[in-house]
Amino acid sequence: MKLAMIYSFLKNDLAVIENAVNETIQSDNTVLRQASSQLLQAGGKRIRPVFVLLAGKFGDYDIERMKAVAVSLELIHTASLVHDDVIDEAQLRRGEPTIKARWDNRIAMYTGDYIFARSLENLSALENPRAHQILAKTMVELCLGEIEQIKDKYNIEQDLRTYLRRIKRKTALLIAASCRLGAIAANVDDEQETALYQYGYYVGMSYQIIDDVLDFTASEKQLGKPAGGDLLQGNITLPVLISMEDPYFKKRLETAFQKREEWTMEDLRPLIDTIQTNGSIERSLEISDRYLKKAYQSLERLPANRAKQTLKGIAKYIGKRRA
Amino acid sequence: MIKLKSSDNDIKQLKQKIASKVRHPYLVRFIPEPTIDEDKLVILSSIMDHTNLSDVKKEQYIVTTMLVQIALDTHDLVTLTEEDDDKDTVRNRQLTVLAGDYFSGLYYYLLSQLDDIPMIHTLAGAIKEINELKMELYYKDVESFQEFLEGLKKIESLLIQRVASYVQKTTINDMAGEWLLAKKLLEEKRTYQEGNFSPLFDVLTRRPGILGNNGQVLVNIEQTLQNHINRLEMTVSQLPIHFNWLKSYVHSAIHHQFNQRQIAEEG
Repeated sequence: MKLAMIYSFLKNDLAVIENAVNETIQSDNTVLRQASSQLLQAGGKRIRPVFVLLAGKFGDYDIERMKAVAVSLELIHTASLVHDDVIDEAQLRRGEPTIKARWDNRIAMYTGDYIFARSLENLSALENPRAHQILAKTMVELCLGEIEQIKDKYNIEQDLRTYLRRIKRKTALLIAASCRLGAIAANVDDEQETALYQYGYYVGMSYQIIDDVLDFTASEKQLGKPAGGDLLQGNITLPVLISMEDPYFKKRLETAFQKREEWTMEDLRPLIDTIQTNGSIERSLEISDRYLKKAYQSLERLPANRAKQTLKGIAKYIGKRRA
Repeated sequence: MIKLKSSDNDIKQLKQKIASKVRHPYLVRFIPEPTIDEDKLVILSSIMDHTNLSDVKKEQYIVTTMLVQIALDTHDLVTLTEEDDDKDTVRNRQLTVLAGDYFSGLYYYLLSQLDDIPMIHTLAGAIKEINELKMELYYKDVESFQEFLEGLKKIESLLIQRVASYVQKTTINDMAGEWLLAKKLLEEKRTYQEGNFSPLFDVLTRRPGILGNNGQVLVNIEQTLQNHINRLEMTVSQLPIHFNWLKSYVHSAIHHQFNQRQIAEEG
């Protein structure tokens, strides 16, 4: 089943969000308008707005209030993607040339900053200081996470705790914040708001671990980039971290990292083969499953309704993304 | 918290406070610490001096506005990608992108702690407009040099002017515009003459229709600069008496930044 089918009952509200997102980034400047529109049309699953709307279903759901939050979160995510493409020197995003590839790095910087500013302007319609505090803290953490990721590149002396903290900042916090802000916008009671936040956090952790596993197990066609790309860039993800428990593997990786200036995917191949067969993939997925289990447990604290069923469905879908 | 009544000492303390907010142990190892524009800090302090806001608010408004300025300035430093970029260049560029994002996040974080949603809105609005203006200036054909200068002036002063409007103290808006434009022209000229990349000169020399060839660009910029300094001196002397500290600061800045430079160049 496709992910969009799971939340198809939100179709009308998501169309409202989609229109609002497009309206929000309509600039008078032609290049800015083209760049922003291209980015949003290339689209994604709009998963953050989905979490906002679903969390809102546990309270006083008003589409106007939900819209302010959902649009802002999607725009913050989008702005970060534009800047990420500059960081990663990415040429393609979902098959389309990135803003930096089509224009240049500076246009990408201005576009990202513009979208970020529109996001905050839009969210200021929500006069709830706590919502702003949560989002602001999340954004600072997100940046710190990305800085950490660069800092930890090619560093083989890192542990599980470092990795988990990094993926928490990189992925889980924004999903958790989407759930929490959706709940706040709909005045959901404190206990349920916490449950929704935790659900988002656990699902986000599981999602990122699976993403990191897929980097080793999915085909180049599925990934849109060569398998093992994360490792080639020096990113030590969970399967690598587990593999490094074997001193021989760690030594081989260390040697490979030492000549990283000139290494290619072919040099990496033997290491990738080992990761694919040494049980680290299975152990990573077990850890991901533990997070998913906690996500389900968080849902138990919520009343039964269609949104709860959908949140369960999304968690299930995430768990099945195993190429 | 600094008890504000603009003075050299307060500016120094504010500068230290802002520097401590933007200092990050990893960033500082690889990219230059952000430049805190002291003139913009002085203008902001003078604006806040004449409001009835609490000292906490005054300080937070100055600090957060400066964080936004630093974030925007940092992103202007992001270099274009070249095929032969080495590892360090790439890492520096990556960290420059993230540093700018981080400083933006900090402004939002500080204001959210103060529950100041209207100010968040004001600063976000200014960021939006400034980025639109940058796109206009650097990536669209402007019809005249005058139009180009107007755009540049707006980019330099819009953030402060929006904050001034927000606190309803706009007396020094015109002076601020002239001052910041003159300063920008001077900085870009210096950068260009030192053989470094100047976005301003890059645009002007790529569009000879606006200002002519390289040599003419320099002469024209120099003339424009002098005109602006003359206008600035006049605008400053017309400021009300309660801006005396600011007046003497600007006069001194004109002397040090502009006139002395001219003596040095001519001598």
